[in-house]
Amino acid sequence: MTKSVLTAIGAKPLPQDTHSCWSCGSMRAAHFCESCGKVQPPVPVDYFSFFGLPPKLNLDVAALEKDFYDLSRKLHPDLNATTERAEQEWSLEQSSMLNDAYRTLKDPLKRTAYLLHLEGVELEEQSKSATEQARATGEIKKQIVPPDLLEEVFELNIQLEELRMDKKMGDDDPALIAEIGKQKLALEAKHEELLQELQTYWKTWDGLIDRSQAGNPATSEERAQVRNKMVDVLNRRNYIRNLVRDVNEAMEN
Amino acid sequence: MSYSDKVLDHYSNPRNVGSMDKSSADVGTGLVGAPECGDVMKLQIKVNRETNVIEDAKFKTFGCGSAIASSSLATEWVKGKTVDEALSIKNMDIVKELSLPPVKIHCSVLAEDAIRAAIGDWKKKQEATAPVAAEAK
Repeated sequence: MTKSVLTAIGAKPLPQDTHSCWSCGSMRAAHFCESCGKVQPPVPVDYFSFFGLPPKLNLDVAALEKDFYDLSRKLHPDLNATTERAEQEWSLEQSSMLNDAYRTLKDPLKRTAYLLHLEGVELEEQSKSATEQARATGEIKKQIVPPDLLEEVFELNIQLEELRMDKKMGDDDPALIAEIGKQKLALEAKHEELLQELQTYWKTWDGLIDRSQAGNPATSEERAQVRNKMVDVLNRRNYIRNLVRDVNEAMEN
Repeated sequence: MSYSDKVLDHYSNPRNVGSMDKSSADVGTGLVGAPECGDVMKLQIKVNRETNVIEDAKFKTFGCGSAIASSSLATEWVKGKTVDEALSIKNMDIVKELSLPPVKIHCSVLAEDAIRAAIGDWKKKQEATAPVAAEAK
């Protein structure tokens, strides 16, 4: 198992506690020396730590944006063009990490996927590893996509096929188009509901982090439970998103 | 991305497309999907009750060329095999046969899942109709 963010918090102090400025020797903040303001060499940290944030999923996006603009201004390679060569390189590296970190954290879904990645869960690997488990145990694989959703998807795809066929032949079937349109709306509503469901798990997760920081660490079962629920929601949501995309394509062409 | 000749062959000339009666006691149905791409695959098998040999297989897949080719190949492979033999088909066998690139491996996983799901469904039906035979392993 990979090391979790939660254990990492307890074990690893933030960089400002451990490093001093390369230039003046004073203690520095994560990215700059607090005393002389010089850019510091990048420390390999996760995106949350980069912004000095705990690995929580509810975050103040407006505050994140403000931090991002503040830091981009200070770290911009052009601003550091006249400084020492090493410093220029650091500011370039820091800037690029800043952009990646911001892009990932501001988006609710990317943020969730990133946290799961830190926790050792790769969404793309889910289906394959479940198959491997089914093969090993001889049990029926736990489907990532629930059966009732699959039935719906299959039926809708048959209708889409009919629609494409109609269009090819120059036929028009208003009833079919209306039916597909209705299903598309239902799918979009479900897509939205799943985001709300995801946010309830964010709350649970953040609660575990708060508890851990207060000295009462969450058990690995507790973490796994929330993690699995988030993975499940993200998978279902992706599935629906792809389907809505297919419907739109079939309707437009 | 370019498809291999074998994928193109299955794609433009898919084997065993169609469906069978889902409610028939001899038919097992597997319906599986991949969240990575939104593909959905239905694979059905018709099993001889005496010999446990898969006599017929049909599929219908909505997805990319590799998903269609993987399921088409899967139906070809399971036909004539016993249920237990069919369970030994691994996704990597399909990858090799069709020369699938790494980004399309999940298509082969889906095809293996579909075989397993169809056999699982058929076994469940056998247990329901003949509980004694199912227990004798």
